[in-house]
Amino acid sequence: MKKPTILVIESDEWLAEQYERVLMNDYKVVAVNNLMAAISVIDGVMPDLIIADILLTGGTIFGLLHELQSYGDTGDIPVVISTGFVDNLRIDNLKPYGVRRILDKNSMLPGDLLDVAQEILV
Amino acid sequence: MSATKGEHQQIFDGPFCDGLSSLTSAANDLKSPLSLIRQLSLTLDDSSLSLDEQKRIFRQISITSERALNLTKDLTKSINLSDGLFELEPINPWQVCEDVINEYGPIYAEYNRNLKLVTKKHPLLLVGNRDLLRRILANFSDNALHYTEKGRVAEIKISASKKGDFVRLAVRDYGPVMSSSAMLKLIDKRVKDIPISYLRPKNNSLNMYIANQFASAMNGRIGASRHRDGMTFYVDLQVSTQLNLL
Repeated sequence: MKKPTILVIESDEWLAEQYERVLMNDYKVVAVNNLMAAISVIDGVMPDLIIADILLTGGTIFGLLHELQSYGDTGDIPVVISTGFVDNLRIDNLKPYGVRRILDKNSMLPGDLLDVAQEILV
Repeated sequence: MSATKGEHQQIFDGPFCDGLSSLTSAANDLKSPLSLIRQLSLTLDDSSLSLDEQKRIFRQISITSERALNLTKDLTKSINLSDGLFELEPINPWQVCEDVINEYGPIYAEYNRNLKLVTKKHPLLLVGNRDLLRRILANFSDNALHYTEKGRVAEIKISASKKGDFVRLAVRDYGPVMSSSAMLKLIDKRVKDIPISYLRPKNNSLNMYIANQFASAMNGRIGASRHRDGMTFYVDLQVSTQLNLL
């Protein structure tokens, strides 16, 4: 069976490597570290899930999420935000952008990412 | 503040202007490396890691800790600048750049990138403090690391003004910068001047704050210019009239 594809958008390469390591047994993982690369990946491969930080090279994730919502196909991609800036984020405000979960980088455990991916991609 | 191509841009105007936001910015900038160290440490618990993977993660933890410690040391120093416990003296900029290459070259290598000095020995001396200047360039180099793509090079450059009254030490990266027009599609179309913080939201504001404080203490200034394929962050310092005998 074909593995679902997860696009990881994380500017810290070493952290992205850890995400990839946790997810790679169950999913095909494509990791990019900036928004321009993310746009190019989404154009070529429609991911089943996006895991993204907020502050990225080239802008914040919200511009991209807003853009994705403009199209029928990309608007349905579920998004998980993994960030150290959770204090001012409310999931209800982000739901219109396809955000399903917010993970706090400062308290999450390595396995949390896999749990959330499995929960969303059932 | 705006980032137009080729012109000097004042890059420091922002998050440290008032007490609360400066504390928040500093806390956020210091939180990122701690968060990474935590994740890497937790990963070491995984028994399926090979010895090579474990060694690599240990190196990553060590490098990330040192970068975070340097940032906190610089922050402390920037607060104590008013004590005046530093001397301004004639400095050979080339030697300072070499010091920074020696410090940051191995870190760049660990990230699969390269940092190099592209200017040959420079004839002009500048007036500054060796330690403060080294830390300015270290902060620029640290910042450029985020924006240099895998396998590519960031460059440290030395140049003199046309009048020969100041020396510019710059760190040039070749990382992605979204064009103003592309950026306008993603943000408010009414915005005419795109701040660098939008083009480079991952720019570490603490790095830039420290660089600005250190440059001011040496009667210099920092700035940035945007290129089609990256950015340059620089510090301008006065030329020394003393002859370079080295």
